[in-house]
Amino acid sequence: MDASEIVVDGRGLAPPEPMERVLAALDELQPGRRVRFLIHRQPYPLYDILRRYHYRYETTAVADDHFEVLIWPP
Amino acid sequence: MNSAGLSLEQAPPFSVPLRFFLTAPWFLVLAALLLLWQGPEIFASRWLPVTLALAHLFTLGFMAQVMLGALLQMLPVVVGVVVPHPQLTAALIHIPLTLGALALTVAFLSGVPAWFQVAWWLLGLGFGVALIAIHLALWRAPVVSGTVIALRCALGALLITVGLGLSLGGYFGWGWSLPVVAMTQLHAAWGLAGWTLLLVAGVAYQVVPMFQITPSYPQWFGRGFAPLMAALLAAWSVLMLGDWETAARLTSTALAAGIALFALTTLHLLAQRRRKIGDPTLGYWRASMASLLASALLWLATLWIPALGPASPAEWLLGILPILGFAVAVINGMLYKIVPFLAWFHLQAQLFRRAKVPNMKQLLPEARIRRQRWAYLTALLLLLAAAVYPAVFTYPAALALGVTGAWLGINLLSVLRIYRRALHEGLASVAWKKSCG
Repeated sequence: MDASEIVVDGRGLAPPEPMERVLAALDELQPGRRVRFLIHRQPYPLYDILRRYHYRYETTAVADDHFEVLIWPP
Repeated sequence: MNSAGLSLEQAPPFSVPLRFFLTAPWFLVLAALLLLWQGPEIFASRWLPVTLALAHLFTLGFMAQVMLGALLQMLPVVVGVVVPHPQLTAALIHIPLTLGALALTVAFLSGVPAWFQVAWWLLGLGFGVALIAIHLALWRAPVVSGTVIALRCALGALLITVGLGLSLGGYFGWGWSLPVVAMTQLHAAWGLAGWTLLLVAGVAYQVVPMFQITPSYPQWFGRGFAPLMAALLAAWSVLMLGDWETAARLTSTALAAGIALFALTTLHLLAQRRRKIGDPTLGYWRASMASLLASALLWLATLWIPALGPASPAEWLLGILPILGFAVAVINGMLYKIVPFLAWFHLQAQLFRRAKVPNMKQLLPEARIRRQRWAYLTALLLLLAAAVYPAVFTYPAALALGVTGAWLGINLLSVLRIYRRALHEGLASVAWKKSCG
């Protein structure tokens, strides 16, 4: 974790609250920064929106119920 | 949720499921009007034509309407297969199903064979299109998960339910010669313990862990429950038709135990949810599963205690608990998750970063859900009381049912109104920004 990163923790929240939070963070994301999104399941619907708006993202499965998605602006 | 996941990229247009969801609540209002019109006499027998009309307003007008609409939405998203021509398919299911449910009500109330014939063709068309479209999609599913297995069993049960229903329609409409009582029992059992229960189970495997943040259903349960129930139903059907009474009763006991096991497993998972803030739809799941458990226990009691046989209030409770208790509650709760979520998602997909999108709680405030839930619980309890004391409770039950149905319909329409306004304003502001430069 570093200063150029916004961390959004959606673990344990019911849908679509995690997606609401991460989209709000992306909306304010400045160039050169990124979002680190922590979530308890694969956020498939989020990927649709990320692809549609040309964000780059990388998902790491930390555990069965813990995923980290790094998201960079288009 | 299993690894098949949810992908809304494949989702059909919002209007495809929405038409079903916005129509369904008004059938609860029609059921309430019928109850008001007939009064306590409706409880004289479950075999009265007016009782059959009432049952079909619930099962066809409300339950099948939402269940088929939700399947058209879910199949591409959960199973990963596309239903061909979604708009046309939805119209060919929704219009005949709606008109067919109305025609069947008129048919039961008037007793005129021509109305049964109209209902027969309309419902045959609507369910025929649904069965073909959904079967084609389900058998092409790339991942065979517990949900896919349960949905396949549910669809098989729907096929049998519809086949039996159309045969019974043939009896009323054209005078076909049939063992009506046995076929009616089979029709109801396959519709409720087959199609409805197994569809709810298949959906629950996905949405209970997802929305209520609970552990997943055990894998053996997800894969084994629906096929076992379908096999038991098939065995029970054969035994009942063959008049093997003791064997049929033992199979019924196993079926009731299976139903109770699903209800208890779900209640146990809900008790382990990690999210401690109350979710407004949790109450619907609990009411639904408690009603399902009560249905199973009451069914067991009627099997083994002769005094609770035909013509006792137990027979009515065995209709009200699974239909208004189990099915209507879970469907009502799910509508409050699905409709605002789809509205929000379609708005995000179109307006993200370009205009502000209302959040879920703005689309449908939780207070409105909680208030309608009290109306629903009141209607359920009053209707259960009416089965035991019809003279006292029938009219209050009918009024409460009408209020809860209309309230649900208005709540869902309010989501659509906010969706349209947000989309209109959002697109207008995007166009204005573009024109400015």
